[in-house]
Amino acid sequence: MPLIELKDVSVRYGEIEALRGVSLSVEAGEVVTLLGGNGAGKSTTLRAISGLTKPASGEILYEGKSLTGLGPEEIVRMGIAHVPEGRRVFPGLTAHENIMLGASNRSGISKEQIDQEADAMFDLFSDIRPFQHVLGWTLSGGQQQMVAVARGLMAKPKLLLLDEPSLGLAPVIVSKVFDIIKEIRRRGTTVLLVEQNARMGLSVADRGYVLETGRLVVTGKPDELWNNEDVRAAYLGGHARAAAKA
Amino acid sequence: MSSMIDIYRASAQRKQRGLLAYIALIAVLVYVAATTTFDGYVTNILMQAVTYAVAVMGLTVVLGLCGQINLAQAAFFGLGAYAVGLGTVDYGLSYWICMGLGLIVVFAFGAFLGTSTIRLGGHYLAMVTISFQQILTLVMINWIPVTHGPDGVSRILKPNLFNTPQSYLAFCVVVLAVVGYLVWQLPSTKLGRAMRAVRDNELAAGVTGIDIQRTKVTAFAICALLGGLGGGLFAGGFSYVSPDQFSFAESIVFLTMVLLGGVASPIGAVIGTGLLILIPEWLRFLKSIPGLYLAIYGLAVILIVLFMPDGIWGFVVQQFKKLRGSLRLSAELPELTLVQTQAHADDVLVVNNLAKHFGGLKAVDDISFVVKRGSVHALIGPNGSGKTTTLNVLSGLYTPTAGAVQLDGQDITHFAPHERTASGLGRTFQNIRLFRSMTALENVIIGVERPGNPVDHAPIALEGRARSALNFVGLGDRADELVTSFSYGHQRLIEIARAVAGNPTLLLLDEPAAGLNSTEKMELRDLLKRIAAKGLTILIIDHDMTLVSEVAEHITVLNFGRRIADGDAVSVLNHPDVVTAYLGSDANAAH
Amino acid sequence: MDMVFQLLFQGIGIGSVYALVALGFVLIFRATNVVNFAQGEFSMVAAFLMVIFSVDLEWPYWISFLLSLGGMAIYGALFNLGVYFPLRHRTYLPVIISTIGASILVSNSTLALYGPQPQVLQPLLDFPGFNIGTVYLDAQYLLIIGLTVVLVAFQYWFFEHTLLGKKLQATSQDKEMASLLGIPVATMIMLTFVYSAMIGGLAGILVAPILFVSIHMGGTIALKAFAATIIGGFGDVAGAIIGGLALGVIETFGAAYVSVPYKDGFAFLVLVAFLVFRPQGIFGERVAEKA
Repeated sequence: MPLIELKDVSVRYGEIEALRGVSLSVEAGEVVTLLGGNGAGKSTTLRAISGLTKPASGEILYEGKSLTGLGPEEIVRMGIAHVPEGRRVFPGLTAHENIMLGASNRSGISKEQIDQEADAMFDLFSDIRPFQHVLGWTLSGGQQQMVAVARGLMAKPKLLLLDEPSLGLAPVIVSKVFDIIKEIRRRGTTVLLVEQNARMGLSVADRGYVLETGRLVVTGKPDELWNNEDVRAAYLGGHARAAAKA
Repeated sequence: MSSMIDIYRASAQRKQRGLLAYIALIAVLVYVAATTTFDGYVTNILMQAVTYAVAVMGLTVVLGLCGQINLAQAAFFGLGAYAVGLGTVDYGLSYWICMGLGLIVVFAFGAFLGTSTIRLGGHYLAMVTISFQQILTLVMINWIPVTHGPDGVSRILKPNLFNTPQSYLAFCVVVLAVVGYLVWQLPSTKLGRAMRAVRDNELAAGVTGIDIQRTKVTAFAICALLGGLGGGLFAGGFSYVSPDQFSFAESIVFLTMVLLGGVASPIGAVIGTGLLILIPEWLRFLKSIPGLYLAIYGLAVILIVLFMPDGIWGFVVQQFKKLRGSLRLSAELPELTLVQTQAHADDVLVVNNLAKHFGGLKAVDDISFVVKRGSVHALIGPNGSGKTTTLNVLSGLYTPTAGAVQLDGQDITHFAPHERTASGLGRTFQNIRLFRSMTALENVIIGVERPGNPVDHAPIALEGRARSALNFVGLGDRADELVTSFSYGHQRLIEIARAVAGNPTLLLLDEPAAGLNSTEKMELRDLLKRIAAKGLTILIIDHDMTLVSEVAEHITVLNFGRRIADGDAVSVLNHPDVVTAYLGSDANAAH
Repeated sequence: MDMVFQLLFQGIGIGSVYALVALGFVLIFRATNVVNFAQGEFSMVAAFLMVIFSVDLEWPYWISFLLSLGGMAIYGALFNLGVYFPLRHRTYLPVIISTIGASILVSNSTLALYGPQPQVLQPLLDFPGFNIGTVYLDAQYLLIIGLTVVLVAFQYWFFEHTLLGKKLQATSQDKEMASLLGIPVATMIMLTFVYSAMIGGLAGILVAPILFVSIHMGGTIALKAFAATIIGGFGDVAGAIIGGLALGVIETFGAAYVSVPYKDGFAFLVLVAFLVFRPQGIFGERVAEKA
């Protein structure tokens, strides 16, 4: 049974159909990447899973159980952590405090224990240890991204939803972030990754899906996708198909 | 098929008949008021209802039409009342002179309050108006040498011309009728449309060329004027005024009246005022327990806001609309012309070293490009590349950190949005910003009314051009429907019609394809080609590469806030840097 | 010179009351983005509860005090459910109008139930005060200042050093992100309203022996709290406290040197002046621009 499965999910924002009948699945232990241009529906997919947006139709099954009608607070308690687009670090709290709050979905643990776990996070995210008591809004984009991912991991999720971790980051930082993603996967967490940067997104994935204006157009292993003309067309428009053929 | 003139003539005739019916109705009411001798108690009720209704119509204008909150209406009412009271009793001036002076004073105060809205809105505005109200009450109570303090002013006389209760009441009814008619007509005037636009979508109003500050100040001034007028009538009618009649509690009463009746219409004002004056009279026991009356007012305000936000009349109008169906007029209209204002230069838009930093974030970092007259130019780049920020700087929503922008030879770098529009910039928004309470036609008329548009501004010409613009985008036969009844894709077309109707020198399209399905995208592509064929210069920002490659002749590509490519469409889209920017690169690989 | 110290002492005393009310107001604003025009009624209702328990029912002062605060907790919860919660997705205008309606409803219901006579509440402590030189330090003012300091210290500790305090801060900074982490946002907002009602109530109980307990005390106190938050910088917690103290001092000096009947007017003038010339207050962020 897949860890998470979307069956024919459609999402509307008012009149706009952001997702049209999308079906996909992720097995436990996998890293799956969702690719596509802007407005393709990638973030919407993650928002539908984490409960921020309610699907108009279709079903989302997590460990076989339906998530229909559940809110984000319940879904994160079930073990799905969502690191949203734009990082959204709490600006008035320090990096350490942000990370500690990541454990808010777990009950029955003491503040000391959370403190210790947050400290341990800085081993994995060693670049931000010197900044642990710095307020969120003064951190750089890359530092915020690391804080956001660490915060997501504090929930001890079975499934981690990562939305555009490379957005707005310099290439050097991006590669660090993706090294961390590889380590996360090595430690056993399943990851569903959304990326506009197709190359980086595919570099860590076992499988990928490509979305275009709300629909799934192609799926496969990273190499297959990278060499697929339709993938390029999804990003660069129809003529890219023509240029690729040339 | 009728011509534009026929349509206009028909609607003018309908208006005339309506006006005649109205005048007839008022004449009947005036006759009844003037000849019937009501007993004192009934006269007082009618007097209060009529004078309050005038003040409440002030709120209809500022809150209903313009969307600005004013919690000081009782203060303006009081100013008018005291002007008449003090002026006639203490200074022996004629009623009319006092009324006139009072109106000038309240108009000035209203305009002053209105200017405070410039940097503030919402709750700040509420606080400023409450403070004004409280200060005025304090002055009324404490400045005893002038205002007589808590004793108030008594033995105020009616004017000689109407010095019986009946004739005075009739006079007040006439004033109410005239005010009501003017407030009723206001929404369809240029000022009224501007107010409604500010209420519906302030940002878009500015960008379509409306001077937001001036509109709000005018709305406040009119509201204050009507408040003062009502107060002056009140003083003459009741012969006695005192500070506790014009306190904050009374401002709440006015507010409740306008909310209950229906905030956007003078009919609602009359209904709300009438009900809230008559009901307490029927339920007189409410006034016997101090506080109960106002407590119920407070509860009523909450319930109305929760369950009946459009008020009674708003509810009625909704029902009526469902029955009426939509009006479809076809008209033989001239083809839309896009006039080029004097071409100063071949370069319509020149962007030089533009930068926009948000603190440490360099969203736009030194970009330059030129848009040539008559071309279709696209600005593209992956998410976070700075395209939208650039667009917002170009339309004046952000001020640049550095650099300059020239439109048709004029430096517009520091112009406010409505000033840029006046200089020839037209724009549409990614998240469609139409004025949702208006019809497609009204939205486009606002576009035509952009200052600087070299067209005939007579109402019939404005409407004709607006209809032509809607025809041009294929929606001419649905011009009189509310924009909310159109599909998303068609709303996008209306927005384009609104921008194009203003004869812009440069048309800025912000992600016009966002949210459209494939059929709608093809219609959009065809429309853009038709617009380009008329010689209008277009700058388009979009993610849909298929659309961009089909319409754009020239493309500038941004990434990380910098320009990475600029040239003709085909070569740019095949440029390796551009491909990398979109598909991503392996950060570890050497370039 | 002694006059100056006397006025300063009184100004800080009354300013502490404004600071408490402003604090409650700012906390609600930060958590929900709602400007609560009924904030003053928290103070008024608490003062009336004290009168009912300690004067009418003649229960011991401390018990009445605790019961009144308990009553305010319940009132805050009801206020959240009845006024804020149904309108939480609407724009600012219906919410403003609704809280104004609530203010009128509550103050006039109290009037209807209790009658128009202002009530007198005895100060907590028996001794009236003491002198330092020729400056007379009234015991009630000392109590107000003392309790305010304690409360502000407590609040600082609570927000900075407890996990719950951090969760409350997170909720007011980014509600959606907080819910994504599993923080129960609705509960956090409820706690904010309850706490805000309680400190508003505390302020009312403290100031009651100095002013009369009347129906109108709520409205006046609320506007002064607004003025305080505007002075200090809208939305800023420290700013609310400093703004409150500043306003108390301005008002007291104004009453002594300029005019007594217009005492209340100073708050409004200051409010208008700041709104027109410096809307971001002394410490606050830019107020009105949003592209």
